[in-house]
Amino acid sequence: MDRAVTRRGFPVVAAAALILGAAPTAFAHQLNVFASTDCEVVLVEAKFSSGRVPVKGEVRILDGANTLLRTLELGEDGTLSVPFGELDAATGLLIEVDTGGHDDYWILTPEDIAKKCQS
Amino acid sequence: MPELTLQSVMRRLIVASSVLLFAAHAPVKAQDRPTVVAVNYALSYFAERLGGSDIEVVFPVPDGVDPSFWRPGISDISTMQNADLILLNGAGFATWTAKASLPRSRILDTSRGFEDRFITTETVTHSHGEGGEHSHTGTASFTWLDQELAILQAAAIAEALAQRGLAEPATVETRMAALTEDLTALDAAAERLRPLAEGKVLIATHPRYQYLARAYDLDIRSLDWEAGAAPDKDQLADLEALVKDSGALVLLWEAQPTDEARAAIRELGLADVVFPTLANSPASSDYAETLGTALDDLLAALGGLDG
Repeated sequence: MDRAVTRRGFPVVAAAALILGAAPTAFAHQLNVFASTDCEVVLVEAKFSSGRVPVKGEVRILDGANTLLRTLELGEDGTLSVPFGELDAATGLLIEVDTGGHDDYWILTPEDIAKKCQS
Repeated sequence: MPELTLQSVMRRLIVASSVLLFAAHAPVKAQDRPTVVAVNYALSYFAERLGGSDIEVVFPVPDGVDPSFWRPGISDISTMQNADLILLNGAGFATWTAKASLPRSRILDTSRGFEDRFITTETVTHSHGEGGEHSHTGTASFTWLDQELAILQAAAIAEALAQRGLAEPATVETRMAALTEDLTALDAAAERLRPLAEGKVLIATHPRYQYLARAYDLDIRSLDWEAGAAPDKDQLADLEALVKDSGALVLLWEAQPTDEARAAIRELGLADVVFPTLANSPASSDYAETLGTALDDLLAALGGLDG
């Protein structure tokens, strides 16, 4: 039996609260952060889901023990390049970007880094 | 191909040795069973039932933390990257799964087969930051609270365990039959809510019950209270207004409330039921027992209104 066909309509649920329990699959300007390394630099890229690039933002780089390694400014093109040698990446890197109102993060594990550095 | 300099070679060697050092200090697996990671308790329960002792199921989210918005540590992601199977709920549950590189070939989206049955939540328009007025829409993600969808998610896990050789197919099939029987029994219990709830409004402390509501024709209005926290005066005033407006008679708690909170609710004339969503591990017992108890309590509360 397919309930989707046989059941009656879904009752109205309070709209004001609905969004708070829902997965934000289509936020108009959710910030998305991606980071990668080629073992020479760590490249951080930030972009809103609308496609717009944040013109400013704070980038925090932490290690596997959540120790803050560096705090830097995001470039006007929404990217930041950090020399790999300046970071202790042995336990991985957690890269946070905060544009003041929106924030997101990306995790680079030791395995992610090893793959790039051994290739 | 990048130019190899002495400096870059040394850097690569340092990184490689660091990784080896990290790996050497990582917890050693107790056995060589395949590892299956699940993003919520419901999926981990299904995996445990289906894989039995053939697999090791890891549910990495700590007690008391909402798995929807949990932020993993680097070591948690490392565990997942090394897992044999990663069980995602889909429907946008667990946003953190998009914050790291997970091996696509070992990911199973357990709700992919019924994406056409996802519930899209309503649009809310507001304004902040540089973007001006904008709107948010979303997808309700607690799919397993509809037991028919729960069975579909469990079936997807069973198929993956068998096809990927993580557990013996015939055994998985037997276990799936037993699990289906249990979930069907829960579905039947939930179906008993339908006539009792007709024409009645329920209020939930958190908007988590969209699939339960749709599946069993429940009219559930939602607040946005923090699970387990006592409501403040403003929240109670909002609740009182909602009760007056809706005529609601029953409140669903997502987590065990304080005695003080419970007393405040009863002063408003509401019956109340603790109805864990099972996104995280229940305080005691398991998925089937916890959900069965919650359904029994809700049946009793709704039945008591007519008595």
